[in-house]
This record gives sequence, structure tokens and C-alpha cells, in this order.
Amino acid sequence: HQETEEEGSSGINAEYGVDNYERRHDNNKRVIGSLLGRYDKGVVIITESFAVPHQETEEEVSMDMEYAMRIGELQKKVNTNLYTVGWYSSGIIINEYSSLIHAFYKCQCPTPVHLTIDTLMTNQKMKINTHITLPIGVKNGTEGCIFTPVPYTIQGAEAEQVSLKFFQQLRGSKKTPNFNDQEQIINCCDEMISQIGVVLGHIKQVLAGEAPADKELGRQIMEVVQAVPNLESDTITNMLNSHMQDLLAVEYLTYLTRQQLAVSARLNQIL
Amino acid sequence: MAAAPKHSPQLFESIEKVEITSQVIMKITRHCHHELEKQLDPNVNGVLLGLINENKHTLEVTHCFPLMNSDTDEGMEINREYMLEMERSLRQVNIDYQQVGFYQSTYLNTHCDRNFLDSVFDYLEEMNEAIALIYDPLKTKLGNLCIRAFKLSLAAFELYKEDKDFTALMLRDKSLTYENLFKEIPVVVKNSTLTNVLMCELDKVQDNTSFFTLPTSSYLEKSMQLLLGGLDEINQDLQKLNMHQRAVYKQQTQIMKHVQERKDENAAREKNGLKALPEEDFSKMFKPPPPVGRLESLLSANRIASHCEMIEEHVKSGIGKLYLADSFMS
Repeated sequence: HQETEEEGSSGINAEYGVDNYERRHDNNKRVIGSLLGRYDKGVVIITESFAVPHQETEEEVSMDMEYAMRIGELQKKVNTNLYTVGWYSSGIIINEYSSLIHAFYKCQCPTPVHLTIDTLMTNQKMKINTHITLPIGVKNGTEGCIFTPVPYTIQGAEAEQVSLKFFQQLRGSKKTPNFNDQEQIINCCDEMISQIGVVLGHIKQVLAGEAPADKELGRQIMEVVQAVPNLESDTITNMLNSHMQDLLAVEYLTYLTRQQLAVSARLNQIL
Repeated sequence: MAAAPKHSPQLFESIEKVEITSQVIMKITRHCHHELEKQLDPNVNGVLLGLINENKHTLEVTHCFPLMNSDTDEGMEINREYMLEMERSLRQVNIDYQQVGFYQSTYLNTHCDRNFLDSVFDYLEEMNEAIALIYDPLKTKLGNLCIRAFKLSLAAFELYKEDKDFTALMLRDKSLTYENLFKEIPVVVKNSTLTNVLMCELDKVQDNTSFFTLPTSSYLEKSMQLLLGGLDEINQDLQKLNMHQRAVYKQQTQIMKHVQERKDENAAREKNGLKALPEEDFSKMFKPPPPVGRLESLLSANRIASHCEMIEEHVKSGIGKLYLADSFMS
């Protein structure tokens, strides 16, 4: 029985939950779905999710358990490392229906995790919370379980972070993912310049005595400055020049190849 | 749930852009990344689901799911059952279940081969608006989200329907070159409002600085190697073409020789007062050698062109980065 202390989840699942919420039937106030992932030394890593049909009224709740198990098995066929690790729901309310559904997921895995996404946006924020249940009560008396929060972090591989950053820049408008490297360089340079500006501003303030000097921060800034390799200017120019020449030679060759291809295509037409 | 496939040029050209939701992109990136951990050049592909918006001439991709590698027959069987199951199940939760294409990961633009062409053709046959999404994980890792949508051009589609191996004549009729074999359709990323809220909520993602890596020689080396490989293929193809031409020429001369001999014989016989032999149709006796297929060379040319493009872009940005590094160090 593992004590899950922390968990990491991929940002995709929150998106999936939101998308599910938008597609729900009109008489359902909330949607639920299963979470898939794996356990790793006390940390639950959630990597996939899928929606489960479910109805909820004031008196009763029902969900398609067979659907959940079937799709779980199906996903396992494609990716053998996936196990059911919990379930998600929209809205922040946790009521007795939640514990019923949670009981079902307890049959699937030892400590199911419950993730809520506040799509209704109470408090003007879309908050994500994660909980597990712990038993409370008196033995041989009234027993129950309580949902306690667990900390979570959103992780992703580098490529995922790049896409996530791209979506954050969208902010409501449509955009084409530009794979024009040169524009990217300009953007990154601008970002870097602004970041350097912030650091410089802080240093100036510290020097003028306005802001308190933090030793840790100072050390980190020193590290960054010293990260630039200190070589003789001759070696640097040689290295850079030779590198540059390689690149130019390659570019010339590819240009030639392209022209040849174009010529051959035209010749094929004339043939 | 396939209606009778309608092949009309209007449907073919009706899609002007593709709208993808961020959820689909994240799923694709995660699937590719997961497979990349196991091997360097995985064969990652999956199915795209969505709907067609005729008023706006866009194809909206709203959902996707991954498929296993289906090299074996057993794998393909499992894949088929899996797709049917997923279709049925997704219908129950109100997710679009219509297949609008497939996605595939690429390694330095080498995806463009016979298998790819076959898959695109299959999907296009079923649905004239289907697209193929190509995702480049290596380039995205360097900081530039790289997703492109392709489909066969109309001319290529019709040619491929008639004959799996193009001949030079067919190419000339339709004026098909390696440039207009595939058509690229612009991709737009669009999110719903709630998803946008979620994006704003998520903490600022950790900036990855690997974008500024100097152009490493390994990347260039690999690209050049692939380029050389492509050129070798074209060379081989050219040799085949040459041999074919030589064979045709030889045959022509043989036919001429025979006709000449017959004429001489007939002249000799007439002189001797014998009946003249019939001048048979020699072209029936000598069957012309079969024409050489030009499909492979088209694909190779396409691949080489895309490699060149890639290298050029890489070089351009590389020169910029070198100047940056220069300014830092001096």
C-alpha cells in the first residue's frame, strides 16, 4: 500500500477534462472520466485520460463502469505501461456521489487519485485540485473516508513544454505554428534582452542601496556571468570562422542540388 | 460508416486550412516523445478525428488517438479492432468520431516514402478531404513547434488511382513534377475559450534554452548523409532509365534490320520470279520493354528537396547564432 505523497501530471489531462466538459449533455452538471498513468516511488504520474459516460441527478448517480474498464483494457493494449490511477471530475464540489465513484475506482487500484478541475470558475479562477482518500472514524463504529489534498506539479517533456508555451502565447487568437527559424531567433533574443534588463535593474537597485542584497541571488548571477568561456580572442575567431565556413559550404552545396533538381524536373517535362 | 466515396475535384480543393486544437497537438507530442524514449527512429502514427466546416473551408481536427506499430499482420488486425472499438466508445461521450486523416512523426524529413504515399492515398480515397499531419519532434525540441499538413495533389491522386507506378508519359500529361506531388495546407491552432482560460492558469512554463544551441555538426552530418542517400537513389533510377532507353533503341534497330532483310529477300525473290513473302508486322513479334516507373524517383526528388530546405534553414539560423556567440565572447 503506497502512500502517495506527491504527484505529477501532464497538462494534457486538464485540457481533456475541459474539452469533455464542453461536450457534455445538457442535463449533466458535471463530467467524469478515468485517469491513466503509473506509479513511481511514491509519486503518481498521470499521463492519459478518457471520458466516461455518467449521469447525475439530485437523487441518484450512475456511471458506465463497464465502459471504463473496457477502455482501460483497450488503452493497455496500445501502451502496456498504463494503469488506472484515479478519476477526474469537473467542478470543485465533492459530495457523497464522489465517494461512491471513488469506491469503484478503489477496486481498480490501491490508492486512486481524484482530480477536480473547476470549469465553473468559482472565485474567477480555474483551479485544479488533487485528492486521495484516507479512512477516518472509529473502528467497529462509524467509519468513513475523507478526501485530503495532495500536492501536484505539471510536468512535461521539452517538446511538450514548447507546445505549451506556444499555446500560452495564443491567448484567444488563432496562430500558425511558425517554423521559420529566423523569426524564432528574433523572438528569443528579445526575450533574453528583457530578462537581462530585469537582472540589470535589480543589480543597479542593490548597488544604490534600495533593495536588500541577497547572497544566493548574487552567487547565481556570478555563475551566469562566469559561464561564458574565457578563451583567447584568436582561438575564438578561428573556431567561429571555420564553423562559419562549414555552414556556408553546406549551404552552397544544397543550393546547387536544388537547382539541379529543378532543371531535371523541367527536362522531364520536355522529354 | 462510409458513404459511397465521392471523388470530385471540388471536394479535393475545398479545404484551405486545417484547424487543430491544442489538445490534439499535446497528445501527438506526448505519444511521439514516449516512443522516442525507446528508439531513435520510431514509426509513430495515429488517427485523427474531427469534422469538416464547409462554410469556412476548414478541416477541424478535434481529437486523435495513437495506433500501435502495425508491421505484422497480427498487429494490423489488433489496430483495426482497436479503431472500431474506439469509434463506438467515443460516440457515447459526444466526441467527433469521423476519421479525417492520420498523423505521423518524422525523423529529419525522411517520412516521404512509398508507405506514406500509400497511406495518404488510402485515406484520400475514403474521404477526399483527408489530410496527413507530419510532426517533427527533433525540431520541436529545439524550440520551434513543427506541425505540417499534407495531402496528395489532385493530379497525383488521379494518376495513382490509374497506375501505381507512374510512367514518364503520364507525368508529362498531367505536368506533375516532384514539386507538386504533395500539397501543403496551412495549419492553424485554435483553442476554445475555456481552454484558453486553462492556459492562462497554468504556471509559466519553464523556458527551455536549448533553442540557442549552436548548429552542431551531428545534425548537419546526418542531414548530409540522408541527402547523399537520396542522391544515390536518384542515380540508380537514372541508370535504370538509361538501360531502358538503350533497350528500346536496340529493339528499334533490330526491327529496322529485319524489315530491311525482308525487303531485300522480297527483291531477290521477285528477281527470281517467286512469290513475295508477306511483310509481317514486326512490332507484334518484338514486344517493347515495359516502361520504367517514375514514382520512386519522384519521391526521392521530393525527399531531397525537403532535406535541402531543412539544411538551408538550419544554416541560416546557425549563422545568426554564431554571430551571437561571437558578440558574447569577444
